[in-house]
Amino acid sequence: MEDVQVIAMLVRRCVAGDAGAWEEIVQTYNRRIYNICYRFAGSANDAEDLTQEVFIKMYRTLSSYDASKGAFVTWVTTITRNLLVDHFRKTKQDRLTDSIDAPVSAQEDAQPLSEQIHDQSAPPDAHVRSREAGETVHAALGKLSPELREAVILRDLQDLDYREIATVLKVPEGTVKSRINRGRAELARLLQRTYRQVM
Amino acid sequence: MPEHTNHGIECHEFDSLLADAIDGILSGAELDRFQAHARTCSACGPLLAEAKAGRNWLKGLSEVNPPANLINNILASTTGIDSQRLRNNVPTPQRTSLWERMQAWVSGVVQPVFAQTWASVRQPRFAMSFGMAFFSISVALSVLGVKPADLSHVSLRPAAIRHTYYNTQARVVRYYENIRFVYEVESRVRELKRNVEPVQPAPNEAAPEKKEHKDDTTQQPEQKQERNYSQTENHLVLASARLGPSVNDAFRKNDPSVVLVSTYRRFV
Ligand SMILES: [Zn+2]
Repeated sequence: MEDVQVIAMLVRRCVAGDAGAWEEIVQTYNRRIYNICYRFAGSANDAEDLTQEVFIKMYRTLSSYDASKGAFVTWVTTITRNLLVDHFRKTKQDRLTDSIDAPVSAQEDAQPLSEQIHDQSAPPDAHVRSREAGETVHAALGKLSPELREAVILRDLQDLDYREIATVLKVPEGTVKSRINRGRAELARLLQRTYRQVM
Repeated sequence: MPEHTNHGIECHEFDSLLADAIDGILSGAELDRFQAHARTCSACGPLLAEAKAGRNWLKGLSEVNPPANLINNILASTTGIDSQRLRNNVPTPQRTSLWERMQAWVSGVVQPVFAQTWASVRQPRFAMSFGMAFFSISVALSVLGVKPADLSHVSLRPAAIRHTYYNTQARVVRYYENIRFVYEVESRVRELKRNVEPVQPAPNEAAPEKKEHKDDTTQQPEQKQERNYSQTENHLVLASARLGPSVNDAFRKNDPSVVLVSTYRRFV
């Protein structure tokens, strides 16, 4: 997904103080990082702040990137993931004090999906085409445990392979696969429940 | 999850093969055993269906667009000066004078209206051209024998300005057709005209306003204040912005070289 030599050169130029090289890195990776943050943290505001934090961290530690130890995208994703963990810990207390059930059911009731869900055997892709359905999936993703959430985001939204994800999460590949399985299944159960409620 | 040993694989093996199976990279005997287990195991069968469904849901999610200012904000917070933060630190009410607050208010009103013009006007390069253009015109006019007194009645309406411009240009061209200096003036004025153009769209509403002012100067300050507070009326803002001293003062404040501009204003 990235030309190793091009990236390595870009990083070298950047470390040497080339502002243009840094801008190129920002241009190349801001969308990816923003999307990871958005899907994990849930809100656009948090995603924006977190993405900025990721780039500030990257900017400070760019000289520590070693191309021989792995792809740049893995390095970038690791920084992102570590900041997301910090963010999750910081906001955990806030979320615990929130009402657990009320916002969830309110959100679910707000989804006008009744007409789409009668045929449960239809491929879900068809449903997701509507924006409302996308929001429902996004909300369901937010209800997964952070371990499962990050695993499916990196696999199914960011298309990283199991080895890369294992590097980012610092767990064995078997664990990665298991989390992805459980994350996907849990998400499907959450969405199934949502649709049954609407029906 | 209950452990089954039927058809050669156990539930934990099924779990480790599940991701590969969904990725479509299982084949041959392994795939057969996997599928056989899925058909017969009451725990793993549904798990396969759910994992597939969950993956499809996720694959249906489209990428979201980052906010438009994200890249700029990132660059500002890494390589550049964060202008947003600097601005947030500046305005402490106790320290700002009435004049500063008025300036801030005026620029708040003027800027959205003028956006483009204002941005270009603030550039020193344009300010110089602006000054040069009128300096050149004033030289040309005095050479042609046009006295400031003759111009005192000239209307400031955009149409009138355009008219004056074309007349003046015609005269200048007649007298100095072959002199390079004319082309200099011409290009400067054209540049000025381009930059002034966005101000022109509301001549109908603006023109009578202006006349009133000329006829009844005693009420001018009062009227001006009223107009400043009617922020919702776009054309009023336009008119007051064009006539008001704010642009001029901002000019003088930002760039000493623009004194020429105010000279021109008095001149006309
Ligand atoms: Zn089983």
